[in-house]
Amino acid sequence: MKKTIIIGSLVITALSGCKKVLETAPNNSVTSATAFSTKARCDLSLNGVYDAAQSGLYTDGSRRGYPFGAANIEQGDMRGEDLVNIATFYQIVYQNTQNSVAPNVVAMWKGLYALINEANVCVAGFEGAQKVKVITDSIAIQYTAECRFLRAMAHHEALIHFARPYADGGGKGVGVPWRDSAIASSTAVAAIYTRPRMRTDSVYANILADLDFAEAHLPVTNQVYRATKAAAIALKMRVKLHMGDWAGVIAEGNKIISGSGPFTSPIGGWTMDANPDDPFKLGNYSTKESIFSIKNDALDNPGVNAAISTVYAASDHKGRGLIVVSPIIWNDPRWLCDDKRRVTVVSKGSDANGSQSLFVYKYRDSIGLGDYAPQIRYAEVLLTMAEAVARSTSGVSAQAVGLLNGVRNRSLGLSTEAYTAGGFADQTALVKAILFERRVEFLGEGKRWADIHRLGTDPVYSAGGGIPAKAVNASVKPFTVYNCGGSYTAGQGAIPYSDFRFVWPIPLTEIQQNPIVAQNPQY
Amino acid sequence: MRKLLEIKWFVLLGLLTLACQVMAQTRTITGKVTDASDNPVPNASVVARGTKVGTSTGLDGSFTLKVPATARVLVITGVGFAPMELEIANRETIKAVLTTADKSLQDVVVVGYGTQQRNAFTGSAAKVDAAKFSTQLAPAFDKQLAGRAAGVQVTNSGGLVNTPAVIRIRGVQSLTGNNDPLIVVDGIPITTGNLAGTTNSNALGDINPADIESMDVLKDGSATAIYGSRAAGGVIVITTKKGTRGKAKVNYDGTFGWSNPLRKFSLLNAKQFETIANEKLTNAGLATQAGINTAADTSNTDWQNQVMVKNAGATNQNLSVSGASDKLAYYFSLNYSFNRGIIVSNYNRAYRVRANIDYEVNKFVRLGNSMTITRQENGDQNNGSNGLGGAIASSLRLLPNVSPFSASGYGGYNIGYPTNNLMTPGPNGKTIDDNFFNVAWSLRNDKLYGDDYRIINNTYIEVSPVKGLKLHSQAGIDMYNDYAFQGLNAFHGDGFSTNGSTFNESLNILNLIWSSYGNYTLKAGDHNFSVTGGYDVQKTTNKFFTASGSQLSDAFYSQKNVISGAATIQTIGGNFTNTGFLSSFGRFNYDFRSKYFAQASFRRDGQSALAPGRRYGTFPGFSVGWRPSQEEFWQKSGFLARWISEAKLKASYAKVGNTLTGFPYLTNFGNAAYGNVSGLGATGVGNPLLQWETSQKWDGGIDLGIYKNRFNFTADYFLNDVNNLVLAVPTPLSAGIAGSTGLSGGSISQNIGTLSNRGIELSLGGNIIQHQDFTWNLSFNYSHVANKITNLYPIGGVPTKTLTDGNYNLIRVGDPIHIIWGYRSAGVNKQNGNAMFYKADGTLVQVNLQAGSNAGVIYAANGKDDGTLGAKSSLAASDMTKLGNGVPTWYGGLYNSFTYKGIGLEFMFRYSGGNKIMNVTRQDVLFNQKFQNNGAEILNRWTHPGQVTDVPKVMYGQDANISQSNIGNSRFVEDGRFLKLQNIILSYELGQKMLKWSNGNIRSIKAFAQAQNVHTWTKYKGADPENISTAGVDNAVSPQIRSVSVGLSVGF
Repeated sequence: MKKTIIIGSLVITALSGCKKVLETAPNNSVTSATAFSTKARCDLSLNGVYDAAQSGLYTDGSRRGYPFGAANIEQGDMRGEDLVNIATFYQIVYQNTQNSVAPNVVAMWKGLYALINEANVCVAGFEGAQKVKVITDSIAIQYTAECRFLRAMAHHEALIHFARPYADGGGKGVGVPWRDSAIASSTAVAAIYTRPRMRTDSVYANILADLDFAEAHLPVTNQVYRATKAAAIALKMRVKLHMGDWAGVIAEGNKIISGSGPFTSPIGGWTMDANPDDPFKLGNYSTKESIFSIKNDALDNPGVNAAISTVYAASDHKGRGLIVVSPIIWNDPRWLCDDKRRVTVVSKGSDANGSQSLFVYKYRDSIGLGDYAPQIRYAEVLLTMAEAVARSTSGVSAQAVGLLNGVRNRSLGLSTEAYTAGGFADQTALVKAILFERRVEFLGEGKRWADIHRLGTDPVYSAGGGIPAKAVNASVKPFTVYNCGGSYTAGQGAIPYSDFRFVWPIPLTEIQQNPIVAQNPQY
Repeated sequence: MRKLLEIKWFVLLGLLTLACQVMAQTRTITGKVTDASDNPVPNASVVARGTKVGTSTGLDGSFTLKVPATARVLVITGVGFAPMELEIANRETIKAVLTTADKSLQDVVVVGYGTQQRNAFTGSAAKVDAAKFSTQLAPAFDKQLAGRAAGVQVTNSGGLVNTPAVIRIRGVQSLTGNNDPLIVVDGIPITTGNLAGTTNSNALGDINPADIESMDVLKDGSATAIYGSRAAGGVIVITTKKGTRGKAKVNYDGTFGWSNPLRKFSLLNAKQFETIANEKLTNAGLATQAGINTAADTSNTDWQNQVMVKNAGATNQNLSVSGASDKLAYYFSLNYSFNRGIIVSNYNRAYRVRANIDYEVNKFVRLGNSMTITRQENGDQNNGSNGLGGAIASSLRLLPNVSPFSASGYGGYNIGYPTNNLMTPGPNGKTIDDNFFNVAWSLRNDKLYGDDYRIINNTYIEVSPVKGLKLHSQAGIDMYNDYAFQGLNAFHGDGFSTNGSTFNESLNILNLIWSSYGNYTLKAGDHNFSVTGGYDVQKTTNKFFTASGSQLSDAFYSQKNVISGAATIQTIGGNFTNTGFLSSFGRFNYDFRSKYFAQASFRRDGQSALAPGRRYGTFPGFSVGWRPSQEEFWQKSGFLARWISEAKLKASYAKVGNTLTGFPYLTNFGNAAYGNVSGLGATGVGNPLLQWETSQKWDGGIDLGIYKNRFNFTADYFLNDVNNLVLAVPTPLSAGIAGSTGLSGGSISQNIGTLSNRGIELSLGGNIIQHQDFTWNLSFNYSHVANKITNLYPIGGVPTKTLTDGNYNLIRVGDPIHIIWGYRSAGVNKQNGNAMFYKADGTLVQVNLQAGSNAGVIYAANGKDDGTLGAKSSLAASDMTKLGNGVPTWYGGLYNSFTYKGIGLEFMFRYSGGNKIMNVTRQDVLFNQKFQNNGAEILNRWTHPGQVTDVPKVMYGQDANISQSNIGNSRFVEDGRFLKLQNIILSYELGQKMLKWSNGNIRSIKAFAQAQNVHTWTKYKGADPENISTAGVDNAVSPQIRSVSVGLSVGF
């Protein structure tokens, strides 16, 4: 009996303490209820939005720099003709054989929308934190502006890859879904089932509204890897360029361009560096030219499979030599043979197949993989402005020539090679020179596809329209085909603008899980 | 007849001696115990009933025992025999003939928190005899379970020695939840799985198969309901050995063996490679590259031989001591097992110790402890299906005309160090596409290693204060400590670009279980009652940390461990999770005259994965049974009683749950660093309304014992309705919800969706011949499971019919889980060699394989004999269709044994089918259109108009179009049926006469020779039809192992 009492009381004591067994919580994450509970956590959450821009998940679960970290640059170049895919890594994109389950396509789409939702969740979180005075009104509004800047940039990138350009029908075409509220519950998910792809012009209008807000509330100075007022204005210039709104570009450009060479920005003091490779030297990621870049670091980067340094650098530079310069651009006589960029940001070395090739040498941290992914440089501001001015001025615009020279002159072998207004036959020749300068200046920065896309229907500036002919995948051989000013015949045929492959498919899972989103034709 | 005469003779003898015996206080009885064939039974226990007086028989079966005068009955028990009670009467000499115990019907079933007599058991369970495989070469017992019990489907994918098998009991129960059975060892649910940080590992390898006394697989709801939420995937209850009465027994088992690949891939040789590779290039309008530099070294390398070893050694050594006195039973064992895999760096080594002690303090109190301490070591390699350093993946692709070695290369290997990470192209114009690494170097210089220490200890106390009542309390600890290391060599391969890297992980999983319950049995006339009730607490903590470094100062530092100061870039990681269960349970059994049975049980579980207020679920189970063979009409019926000695009908119903992992009710923000700036980002969206996943299980069955129970037959029909799935409902990618996997968006767990499994299980076995010198035993089992998804979730109010399921599969309402999904191949166009496909409307399209800018573009086709290109067309998602079931629907095994005197011959077959396999190895690897090697099948490619073949024209760079990479393609969907000769064992046991020389010091000697995984009969073209994922996809998996071994068992 005594024994029973002892055992019984032991049992009762033990059981009453057991309830705690169920009272556990994760130790590696905080709950949504507390993610915005202090100023410090709001800061962290904001960094998390930038992280989503740097390293969304690839389809195999790894981080390859979608949507803006590294993959953005690699995909943008591989959709164009100025760089050549050497191994099979980017072959589908390079040859335009993508389908609705192609990993690159899916990862880009999901990376963009993951960033957008992360931004929206934080906008809601900051609003809540502001209400309970965890953060001040000015902090809340600045952080919201940063989120809306990224949201605008992501939607614009989605338009470039998954929709026909604004110029096709003046924005009346099918755009992409627009998301501007936090989705963090089944109910919120259910709400998007009724929202189809928005018309292109409406998406553009929303993007501009975000960027106007960002411009108004972003600080003038910030780290290069965070958004600033000038970054918002520069991005607006890019967006309006895609809309063909030359006057709009000029209005924005005037806010951040002053002088007549050298040009500087009254907001933030941005200007061109002295040499074309200055913004790219190891560790030199925040010069006065780099307005906005996505940060990578030895501890957090897209890894050896995708980091921009490993992909673009020759194996002589510990890279993998997966992407090489195409003779299409290299041999183009418009790119002067003594141009400094042929030496300072291009290098010779072994490609993935062991062959000698030419490589973009803008990303140099092949071991630490910490090269920043450049998104907006002052050079883009000047060339965008130059194009808008040139197109909207009849005849040859001296101002546009000056802006063009503002970028090009630092790379010339001889100062006498600088453009003069008199050297251009007409407006068209000037615009063509500006467009070509973009290809050279941004070689290996992933900007090529955006230009192909916006000019896809342009009868003058995109000969034949569509995706240009390219070098045959995996074979720039022998090395002697690289010949400044020499001829080169591209082996992979062009794809006309009307072809369904001009735009990427919407990922299959999107169509299945959200049937209101229409697939692009023929996918 | 002879037996009868003997008994009469003894009775007569007894009567004659009666007078002298009456007066003695004690008397001496001598006797002999034999089996039915008159062979002596050594080591049988002979005890006078009601006393502690006892002895055991000698080698010749004889015994001498002094019994008190009052003793009336001798109880004789021998292992493998039915206990026997003999009236002593006035006999001085006794001869006892023991009959073989019928294992299948008369023994007990170990159920949750107790045991039941099998003939009173109304659930569905299968017993697996571990003795049948305990001397085989296998790193863990799960690898040996396949084919041994009806309803238990075990898949051993690939030949790596350290991977766990996939066990499915009665089909797949959950779409996104747990499907593995609960494994309970001596009452403690143990941690299972592939847990180690850098290598494959098998937590079940910590159980020594030779320590297993019994293994009961609980299958239906009523048998498993007492395990409540843990029981959705069935339960395997393992009881380890205890000492048996008698003098100490020492057993030694030693096995030595050699393993080889069962079937290698058939690849192109150097010459064939050059032909095909150049044909690919010229067909694409490119210059030839293969074998163009005849001045360079050329070789003929089968890269599989660089990756695989011949005659990989293996051994299993086991030593045990066991015995019991009146009070104390003990069992100790030591085990060493070493299995080398067929891949150069793959191995598993295990050291296992077990100590089981049971002590009866007095009639009231019994206590005991069972403990096992083990260490496993695992060696592994990059096994990636697509990895550039993946052992199999690269051995299938590396160029056969290039040597792994080079006199001028670093260390004699063909590697580009220090210049680059490439191999020299040898006689070719270029090196291999995608830069596959020289795997011969990587496998020898990259280190993937892990070792784990495991302690499973279980202490119990049992109090029996009154008759029929037993109170049992046990505390269990299961501690798993894993150390993992990965060192990637800086000179070549995966470690080149980071200049060498090291990674360590230390993982600790601690499970504490405290389980207390009572059993009360009461016999009131013809009514038997039994009640069980109790309470379980389980607490699990899982913690780990990792340290990694890259940019090593010297390649020397990547060999054993992270070394302080050796790495420039250093990162750490880690996590801590704790989860818990609180459960109360009960069971009530009633039977009337051992004829009618009823059982009810319940369990109430609380789990920490659910929101407060929703944490508890209650899971009841019921079953009834009837033994018509106990009815008068049966026993009076000459025919029935004579032919069917035992018959039982049973039926059960239960509702069980399924365990959840993590915290699916919470919306969380985890670390999301932006470069080196700390950040917080959403990691997933939770559902605070989430509830238990539940399923309803029905079962009906019949058990028959035929012809004096010499044969037994069991049949079960079951239906499992999982009607409240916890489904990780995917969200559209454009919702941007965190937690995206593969092609799908992040998911939110919801109680939505239903599926069902229904099927039949049959098993039949018995002694076909039971002759003095010759016996023949045969058993056979067959299972059929039909799985069906009956409902998914709605999208915007409309029920969705399909759910994305990886690249090659689909989950679709009305179909079984994981159907293979993709394009329907229409073969090859006879005139132009184009790969052809059917569109959804049945029209034909072809992939243009003419070089030029339209290469790879899809055009309409007029017919297979018409080489013209129609209008530009496409293959779209809507053209995909069902190509087969990914999961086998029928399977089973056949076990056969012959013995002739001391010679034994056993063999076992197992079979499986009803499934199709998506052979991605063929699609992606063997038919690649890159500058890489191919499978021999590509030699049948189309080369000229008019040629009829099923292999399209080759063309460099057109993989994605010709084979439709990453998508199901019926050209690579193959029948998964197989029949496997799992093992053959030939043994010889020395007769007692031959052991006489040892003067009784050696109890038994048995020598054996065996072969495992002997042969597979299949139409499947891949390495093995078992080399599949749970969804029926085979992607560059290591071939299976065939082992041959010899061994010796000695008993002292």
